Amino acid sequence: MTTTTTQQTSASAPHEERRGAIELRGVRKMYGNIAAVDDLDLSVEPGEFVTLLGPSGSGKTTTMMMVAGFEELTSGTVLIDGEPVDRLPPKDRNLGVVFQSYALFPHMSAAENVGFPLRMRGVQRGERRGRAEEALARVGLAGLGDRRPRQMSGGQQQRVALARALVFNPAALLLDEPMAALDKRLREQMQDEVKTLQQSLGISVLFVTHDQDEAMSMSDRIVVMRDGRIVQEGAPEDVYAHPRTDWVANFLGDTNLLPCTVLERKDGEAVVDLGAWGVGRVRDRGAKGDAYAVSIRPEHLRFVDADRCENRGSGRVLSSTGLGATIRHRLHVGGQDVVMRELGTGSRATGGLDSEVTVGWSPEEAQLLVLEP
Amino acid sequence: MTSTVTPAAATASASAGAGAPRRRRRPRGTWLLLLAPVLAFDAVLFLTPLGKLVAASTHDHAYQRVLKDPLVSRSLLNTFEISALSTLATVVLGYLLAVVIWRRGPLARVILFALVLLPFWTGVLVKNFAWAVLLQDNGLVNTALQGLGVTDAPLALLHDRFAVVLGMVHYLLPYAVFPIFAALAAIDDRLELAARSLGAGEASIFRRIILPLTVPGVSAAGLLVFIISTGFFITPVVLGGPGDMMIANQIDFYARQLTDFAGASALALLLTVIVSVLVAIYQRILRAGGEYEAG
Repeated sequence: MTTTTTQQTSASAPHEERRGAIELRGVRKMYGNIAAVDDLDLSVEPGEFVTLLGPSGSGKTTTMMMVAGFEELTSGTVLIDGEPVDRLPPKDRNLGVVFQSYALFPHMSAAENVGFPLRMRGVQRGERRGRAEEALARVGLAGLGDRRPRQMSGGQQQRVALARALVFNPAALLLDEPMAALDKRLREQMQDEVKTLQQSLGISVLFVTHDQDEAMSMSDRIVVMRDGRIVQEGAPEDVYAHPRTDWVANFLGDTNLLPCTVLERKDGEAVVDLGAWGVGRVRDRGAKGDAYAVSIRPEHLRFVDADRCENRGSGRVLSSTGLGATIRHRLHVGGQDVVMRELGTGSRATGGLDSEVTVGWSPEEAQLLVLEP
Repeated sequence: MTSTVTPAAATASASAGAGAPRRRRRPRGTWLLLLAPVLAFDAVLFLTPLGKLVAASTHDHAYQRVLKDPLVSRSLLNTFEISALSTLATVVLGYLLAVVIWRRGPLARVILFALVLLPFWTGVLVKNFAWAVLLQDNGLVNTALQGLGVTDAPLALLHDRFAVVLGMVHYLLPYAVFPIFAALAAIDDRLELAARSLGAGEASIFRRIILPLTVPGVSAAGLLVFIISTGFFITPVVLGGPGDMMIANQIDFYARQLTDFAGASALALLLTVIVSVLVAIYQRILRAGGEYEAG
C-alpha cells in the first residue's frame, strides 16, 4: 500500500454552475433471484470524485451502468441534478462515459471520434473540428486528430476516449475501470492526469475500479462495495485508517488482524484483551458485531524496547525481505504470524533470523473492527 | 474482417512466437509432399481440362464468331443485368435477415440459422420447381390473389425475369447472410453503448456505426453472390422466358444444339475473363474505401 494520498477537498475549483450531482435512492437490481445491487443509497456532490471500489461481482459496474441508463433499475430511483432520470434513455442523460475497452469507433479518426457527440448534437462540421482538436489538445494529443484508434497506443486511445466523453460538457463523467488495460507506469501517469483534468474542469466523477491504489490516489470519497451493498464509505485515508470490518481492512491494503475480546468501549477508544499480546488500548468507531479483532497495518508496527511501550508483543523473526525503500519482516509474535514493514534499507532492530524481538504500536494506529462471519 | 486484438489473443500469439524457434525443423520440401495430393488432383481434373478448353477455343476463329453472334451479346447483357439485380436484392434481404438474427438471443439464433440453412441444403432444382408450382397460372399465388379479389384473371408470374431473380435470390440468400452476420458479430457491443451515451439514437447508431463497420462483410457477400449469379443455368431454364437466357444457357446451346465446342469454349473463357476483371476492379475499389481495416 502506498499512502501517498493527495489530499483534496470535495469543493474543488469554483466553477460557474454547480452541476453534476448524482444521487441514487434505494436502488436495487435483480437478475432472477439474485440481487446484483441491493438497496443502494449513494450521492456524488457537484465536482466530487467518488470511487466505487470492490472486487468483481460486487455490483459496482452494474451500479454505474444504471446511472448511465444502460441497465434498468428493478426498484429505486436515480437523480441527476435533482431530476429523476429513470425514464430518460442514455442519449439524453448527458453523461460522459469511458469504458474499460475505450470503445472507440475503429472506422473514425481520433478527431471524428471526439467530434461524434457534437455531431449528434447538430454542431456544424467546422466548429466540430475546432472543438474536437481543442479537446484532444486538452488531453495532450494535439495534432494527432487524423490518426485511427488502431494507430495509437493504449494510453493515447484512452485519452481519445476521455476527450470524447468531455467534449460535449457532460453533467458528470462515469469511468468504468479505464486504466485496467494499461501497464503500471502508464496507469499511474494517467491517474495523475485524470485527477488534474477533473479538478481543472470541476466536473463530478463516478469512478469504478477494483484497484485499491487507484481508488486511494484519485478519490475524494471511496465507496467500498461487496455483494451489491455498500460496506463502508468515506475519505480514502479515513477508510484506510478506520476499516469497519476485517474484509475492508484486507481489501484496502495489507493488515494484521489480531482477534480480541472487548473489555471496555468509551469515547472512541476501546480496551481489548489480545490474549498473548496482552491487554491494550485501540481506536474504536463503535462498529457492532459478534466477533472483534484489532487491525494493525504493517507500517504501524515498530520494534520497541520491551518496557517502553504500552501495546506490545514478543516473538521471533521468520524472514526479512528488502524491497528497496522498505524492508518486509515476517514475524511470529504471540502465537500468530504478522507482517511488519520497516522504512529504510538496513534493519536496525533485528539480530537476524530467529532472533527475539518485541514489537509495539501506538493506540492511534490500531483499529477495532468487526470480524465478518 | 474488423477484429479487435484482445490482450489474450496478443499474449497467445506472443507466446506462440516465443515457442516457434524451438520447433523441430522439418526437411525442406516436406510441405510440397503434403500438397502433392491436392496438386495432382488439380492438375488432372482442373488444369488439364482447362488447358484443353483454352486450346479448343483457339480453333475456327471461335472468338470472332462468338462475338459477332447477337444472341451472345444479348445473353451476356442478360447475365450481368440479372446478376446485378439478384445481387442487390440478395444483399439487401440478407442484411435485414442477418440483423434480425444478430439481435436475437442464442436460442432464437440457432433456430433462425437452421431456417436459413434449410434451403441451402435443398437442391436448386427442387427450389426452382417449387417456385414454378407456386407461380403458375393455377398455382397458390394466383389462386390466393383471385380468391381475395385482388385480380380477376391469373397474372403471368412465371417465365419472366421477375421469376428468375426470385428463384436466384432464394438460392443465394445464405451466401449473403453468413458473411454479413460475421461482420455484425465482430462489432464490439460497447461501441453501441458508447454511441448511446454520446447522444446517438437508433438511426444514428445504425448509419454511423453499424453500417460502416459491416461494409467489408457486405462487400464480401456482394462479391460472392455476384460470382455465383453469373454461372446460373437451371433457374433461367425453369423460371425464365426466352428473353432471360444467360451465358451458361448460351454455352449449353453452342455445345449441344450447334455442337460448336470451339465456340462454347470461347464463351466459357470469355465469361471467366470478364468476371475476373470485374472482381479485380471491385477489390481495388474496396481497398481504397476500407483502408482502416489494414491500419
